[in-house]
Amino acid sequence: MTVMPDLPPVRHWHLFCRVIDNFGDIGVCWRLARQLRQQHGQQVTLWVDDLVSFCALCPALDINQAEQQQQGIIIRHWTEDFAPLSPQQTGDVVIEAFACELPDRYIAAMAQRRQAACWINLEYLSAEDWVPGFHLSQSPVHNMSKTFFFPGFVAGTGGLLYEPELALLPQHMAQPLARQAFLAEFGLAETLAGYALQISLFAYENPALEGLLDALAAHPQSVHLLVPAGRISAGLDAWLGEVTAAGNTYRRASLNISVMPFMSQQRYDQLLAMCDLNFVRGEESFVRAQMLGKPMLWHIYRQEDDAHLLKLDAFLQHYLHGTKRFESGDKPSLSSLLITAFRHWNQAPLAAPLNGSGAHADWAEVLQQLPLWQAHSQAWQQQLLTLGDLASNLVHYATDRV
Amino acid sequence: MKTANEFRAGQVLSLNGQAWVVLKAEFNKSGRNAAVVKMKLKNLLTGASQEPVFKADDKLEPIILERSQVTYSYFADPLYVFMDEEYNQIEVEKENLGDTLNFMTDGMTDVCEAVFYEGKAISIELPTTIVRTVSYTEPAVRGDTSGKVMKMATLENGYELQVAAFVEIGDAVEIDTRTGEFKGRAKS
Repeated sequence: MTVMPDLPPVRHWHLFCRVIDNFGDIGVCWRLARQLRQQHGQQVTLWVDDLVSFCALCPALDINQAEQQQQGIIIRHWTEDFAPLSPQQTGDVVIEAFACELPDRYIAAMAQRRQAACWINLEYLSAEDWVPGFHLSQSPVHNMSKTFFFPGFVAGTGGLLYEPELALLPQHMAQPLARQAFLAEFGLAETLAGYALQISLFAYENPALEGLLDALAAHPQSVHLLVPAGRISAGLDAWLGEVTAAGNTYRRASLNISVMPFMSQQRYDQLLAMCDLNFVRGEESFVRAQMLGKPMLWHIYRQEDDAHLLKLDAFLQHYLHGTKRFESGDKPSLSSLLITAFRHWNQAPLAAPLNGSGAHADWAEVLQQLPLWQAHSQAWQQQLLTLGDLASNLVHYATDRV
Repeated sequence: MKTANEFRAGQVLSLNGQAWVVLKAEFNKSGRNAAVVKMKLKNLLTGASQEPVFKADDKLEPIILERSQVTYSYFADPLYVFMDEEYNQIEVEKENLGDTLNFMTDGMTDVCEAVFYEGKAISIELPTTIVRTVSYTEPAVRGDTSGKVMKMATLENGYELQVAAFVEIGDAVEIDTRTGEFKGRAKS
C-alpha cells in the first residue's frame, strides 16, 4: 500500500503575473501554480495580464475567457479595469511575481481581511551575496506586511523551482526509443537520435553564435543541434544562409541543425534531459537545466549598466566552486574553460574578476571536457537539492502564517 | 513622497504614523532592471529598530525636520562633534550615524547637514558627492581604461569599496554617498 505524504492545510493562493517580455514570467508562474496544486493540494488562482503569451505554454487556454480552469487551477485575466472585490475574494496567500504591482482595488480588499493574508513578493533569481540577507525580509506597506521571498542557490534562500520527479527524466530520455519518439513528435528523423553529441540551443540574439556554429561544424564527432524557434533564429538563418523552418534539419559538415517549434514546458524539459549540453537563457530554462543535472551554458538577461555581468560572475563563483575534483592535471582546468566560455557567450569584458583568461571560448576544448562537466553538473544538482524546492519552501513559510 | 531608493542615511521617514531615521540603506539590482532597498531604521520615539526591504520605486513619506549646516570637528567616544556656522557644538551619537560613518575621517571639510528632532541632533547627512583618498589598492590593471573593470580599494579610514581598475594609491576619488559607490577619479 502506498502511504501518501501528509499534505499541508489547504489555503487559497492568488498568484499575480505580469508578462513583461518573452515567456519567463508566465513560465515560472505556471510551473509554480501547477506545483502548488498538484504536489501540495492547494487551491490556486493565477491572474495573468497576457493570455496570448500564456496560451503558448498552455494551448488549451481560451484567450477570450476572463475566467476558466486549467489543470485544476483557476485562471483569471488581469485587466487594467480591475473589478472591485470583497475581502473574502482575496487569497489567503498572495504572491506578486517578480515585483509586479498588485491592483489598488485588490490591495484595498486585502487590507480589510479579518485575518491578514500572507503577502509575498516573489523576487528574481540571483546568486549575489546580498540575497540571503534580503530573503524573508518584511516590507511595511499599505499598513500590512509583505515578505520578500528570494529564490537562490545557497542556504538562506528560497531554493529553486523544480518538481521531485524531474531528476528522473534524464534517465528516461537516455533510452534510444524515448529519444526517437521525442524527435518523431516534431517531425524529425529518428536517426538523429544516434548522433554522438546532442545539444540544445535557446538564447537571445548573440554575436557569439557564429563562432559556436563554426566550432560545432568542425567537431570530429557528429553533432545534432536542436534549436527551438525564437530570438536566436535570425542569427541561425544568417549563418546557414537560408531561412529555416520548424520541423526541418540543415546539415553543414558534421553539424546537423534541427529547428523546432515553440514547445510546452514538459516537452522542453524532455529536450533538456536528452541533450549532452544545453544553451539556456533567462531564468526558467537556466534553472531547469541545472535541476536536471545537465551541463548548461547560460545566456543571462541583459540589464542596464551591465548589472547582469555581476550576476553572471556571482553565479559562476558558486557554480564552479568544487570543480577541482573533476579535473586532471594535464588539461586546462574545467573551471577556467567554463569561465571563459560563459563570459564569451555573454560578451563580458576581457579582464574578468574571476580571472577569465580571454574573450574567446575554446569550444573544442569545452566539448572535450563534457564528461567532466557532466559529473560536475550532477554534483551541483545534488547540492541544489539540499535547499528544498521553491514551491515547498513557499508552502512551509506561508502555511504557518495564515 | 519619495521613492525608497532616494532615501539615505540620516534622513527621516514616516512608517505607520511613526518617525524613523534611516541608519543604513542598501540598494541592489534584483533583476530585469528592477531594484530593492534594505534599510536599517531607528524609531525616533521608542528607539526600536527594524530592517525592512522595499522595492526601489515604493513610495515613502519623508519627514522634513529642522536642519543646519555643520562641519566635523572631532570624535569623543561615543559622540561625533560637529560645529555649525555660529560655532555651536552639535553632538551626534555614533550609533545614529549609520552608513555616514563609512565616510567620516579626521580633517574632513565637507559641509554636512545636521538633522534635528525635538531640539536634538539625530543624524548627519553628507553631501551627495564627497572626495576621499585611497590608502591602499592593488596595482592598476594594464590595458583597461574603460572604467568598467573594478577592484577593491581601502580609504584612509579603513572603509573598503570598489573602484575602477585604473585607480592607484594616493588618488582622490569621488564617492556617491547615496549608494556608497565610486563615481570617478577626482579632478585635481
